[in-house]
Amino acid sequence: MIELKDITKEYSSNGAHIVRALKGINLSVKEGELVVLRGASGSGKSTILSLIAALSKPTTGEVVVDGERVSKLQDNFASEYRRETIGFVFQRYNLIPTLSVKENIILPLIPINLDAKELEDRLFRVLKMFHIEHKKEQLVKNLSGGEQQRVAIARANINNPKIILADEPTANLDEKLSLHFIEMLRELKLQGKTIIIATHDPLFFNLDFVDRVFEIHQGEII
Amino acid sequence: MRSRVNFYIVEYAINSLIRQKYKTFFVVLVLSTLVFLLASLFFITNSIKYELSATVNSLPEIIVQKTKAGRHYDIDVSAVDEILDIAGVESVSARVWGYYYFENAGVNFTLVGIDEYEEQYKNSFKSAVQKLNFKTSSMLVGIGVKKIMRNNYYKEYFNFIKPDGKLKKMNIGGEFSADTELESNDVMLMSKDDAREIFDIDESKATDIVVRVANVNEIATVASKIKRLHPDSRVITKDNLKISYQNIFDYKSGVFLSFFTISLFTFFIIIYDKISGLSSEQKREIGILKAIGWRVDDVLREKFYEGLIISLFSYIVGIILAFAFVYIFNAPLMQSIFLGYSKLKTTFELPFVFDIQTLALIFFLSVPIYIAATIIPSWRSATIEADEVMR
Repeated sequence: MIELKDITKEYSSNGAHIVRALKGINLSVKEGELVVLRGASGSGKSTILSLIAALSKPTTGEVVVDGERVSKLQDNFASEYRRETIGFVFQRYNLIPTLSVKENIILPLIPINLDAKELEDRLFRVLKMFHIEHKKEQLVKNLSGGEQQRVAIARANINNPKIILADEPTANLDEKLSLHFIEMLRELKLQGKTIIIATHDPLFFNLDFVDRVFEIHQGEII
Repeated sequence: MRSRVNFYIVEYAINSLIRQKYKTFFVVLVLSTLVFLLASLFFITNSIKYELSATVNSLPEIIVQKTKAGRHYDIDVSAVDEILDIAGVESVSARVWGYYYFENAGVNFTLVGIDEYEEQYKNSFKSAVQKLNFKTSSMLVGIGVKKIMRNNYYKEYFNFIKPDGKLKKMNIGGEFSADTELESNDVMLMSKDDAREIFDIDESKATDIVVRVANVNEIATVASKIKRLHPDSRVITKDNLKISYQNIFDYKSGVFLSFFTISLFTFFIIIYDKISGLSSEQKREIGILKAIGWRVDDVLREKFYEGLIISLFSYIVGIILAFAFVYIFNAPLMQSIFLGYSKLKTTFELPFVFDIQTLALIFFLSVPIYIAATIIPSWRSATIEADEVMR
């Protein structure tokens, strides 16, 4: 389902210095799998997620999802691909703090111009799934870290995407909330979603429902 | 069927403006002020142009004045018959008129004498002849004069001070009105005899002579014939008057427009500067929207609605305020920029002139420019990779 072929990624730092974030990555993830990318900060795991989500383009190589070369997509098609296929849970959640829970969650649906009933149905489904119905009118900036994370996951699921990408999902959570997140992941896996998690949190490495763990070190899979 | 307009994006745009309430308020304030100033300027210009054009149209075709050492002197009434003999001349009248300075109010009135048996050279005088009582010392006054008189407790009569220092009592017999207020506002209309007495003008003299020509194409020819007949006179045609009226107005509006353009430009620099630099929060928001599936055109459409709502609202507020300022409050301060000489004249009410072109011009000077200034910086951020914008 997801294939990364000979991927390299270089960033230009301060205009001159080139940082090689990924050095020839080859990775294949099957439909319904839950894969963990393990590695220290700066190892390149987040960059892999970013390339799969078509948020950036590889310097060389290509990313193929469901047979489509997403790394070659033009900007607008990349946006549509993200909207229809990807649910991304960012490390710092990337919510808009001055919007309410409900407004943040429905953001991906706004450009589709759904009718009001369908929008309400989808919103209700994810609010219920992630247990945040009672918070829906509250501003996101007034929520705790764990609640914000649930909002981020709800937003990632509002379009019922096939692929969930999560970048350091437990980095800002205590152990109890981290375990709660893992339970949510299990639920999503049961629904048949393909899940890739970039993390250095040991909690994820021995979970019974994790299919594979890849170790990333200095831009390479080892 | 679903609406083509995505109301969720419109709602998001409104919400976004509310979230940035201080910035929104500042922009509305600046834009509304700009539209208000621009609209007021155009409304006043249109009104005065309308008044001027109507006033100039009612002017006599030729005016003959006697000059001595370059100054205007009283002309001999006998010249009337000589001019009347020129081929093409339809009628000739000797006018008695002048300015009377009313010290209490610090304004000049225009005193005009008319004769009930003469053919009147202005349409407004024809109806005035019916109203004016020539048997008693009576006069008709323009609306501006009437107001000033009333404020100074002259409701029924007015005492003129003659050149010999004696008083001349004139009854206020009614109101004088013409096609335009500019023409009638500061006028005091009375019999020629009364006007002569107030100005101490001899019966054989007149202030000037007005000439009507049967064929307007012959005005220049008749004017040159009069000039040959009276080389010491100044012969002014209607076209000359039109040009000098227009020149005064154009000069004043030109000076004002120059200053206005500079301030307009400065305002836009401020607005552009305010908007062009998106804050890191705004850039991040665009990055988030792109990361969760908004296309570049979705982002731009949302920014377009933001710009449209804010600029259209400001435009409407500015136009309504300008309408009220000019046509209800009579444009205090601003009117005197165009009518600088009005310190010695009575103020007059600006006539309502509705010109759709003016409204369209102001619209195109404000709304699309603001929308463009909103969209351009957002477009720059929206076309960068979402990953980079969020970082």
